[in-house]
Amino acid sequence: MVEYKSSRLDALFGAMSDATRRAILARLAQSDARVTELASAFTISLNSTSKHIRVLERAGLVTRSVQGRDHVLSLNAGPMAEAAGWMEFYRRFWTDRLAALEEFVVKKRNTTRRGSTQ
Amino acid sequence: MSKTQTPGADAAAVASAGSKHGTIVVKRTIPATVEELFDAWLDAESLAQWMHPGIELPSTATVDARVGGTFEVVMHHPDGPKRHHGVYRVIERNRKLVFTWISDATHHAETLVTVDFHASVDGTEIVLTHERMPDHEAGLSHVHGWTAALELLEELLSA
Repeated sequence: MVEYKSSRLDALFGAMSDATRRAILARLAQSDARVTELASAFTISLNSTSKHIRVLERAGLVTRSVQGRDHVLSLNAGPMAEAAGWMEFYRRFWTDRLAALEEFVVKKRNTTRRGSTQ
Repeated sequence: MSKTQTPGADAAAVASAGSKHGTIVVKRTIPATVEELFDAWLDAESLAQWMHPGIELPSTATVDARVGGTFEVVMHHPDGPKRHHGVYRVIERNRKLVFTWISDATHHAETLVTVDFHASVDGTEIVLTHERMPDHEAGLSHVHGWTAALELLEELLSA
């Protein structure tokens, strides 16, 4: 069974609820980037970019490595895979439920038939 | 179907086609009549007996079987009760059932389940479609961006 860590998902979806942050993630999916590169790509202030990046870092979506004076950002898809897990969870959930439904109606029908042939 | 389509209807059709990505579809042909199967969804006593996580203890279910009516299924897991609930959106007896579905596993966001019933030579084919709600329908502010977020992450994961 997949267990969902609510607080982690809160952070994840909170981070992804903002269009600029989603654009940053899409950009990082192509290649790593410096903070300054992101700021100029999205024509937002360095300060504002840093704030968005901190939110993404807290959600575990972005990791930062310091190379000399540059802070290089990379996408970390791990938490997203976890969120996408709800689909796999429900595929299995409904497959099992429909099997249980079959068992239920077949058993119920047999019981009714036995009852009515008395 | 009316011949004149409103722009809203067009937009809805496009949105629906687009949301195929990230939608779960589960099918099963069951050797039973459409009536037997359809009623098993809307009769609380029946629902409690099959809508449970494969353990002997039946679930607790309440059903208000009308459009706009609510349902609740509490599954008694060994590690504690799991509550699932929602509102019936469409009830077309022996044909179609549409309801919202909220649980821990949907992160308490509203999702949508459509169950279609088709009579077949072997019994009845059930086609169950579970999809996330379009953002504009999600009432909770903290799940705003749910669709966009899932779309992006599916895109990134499949890249």
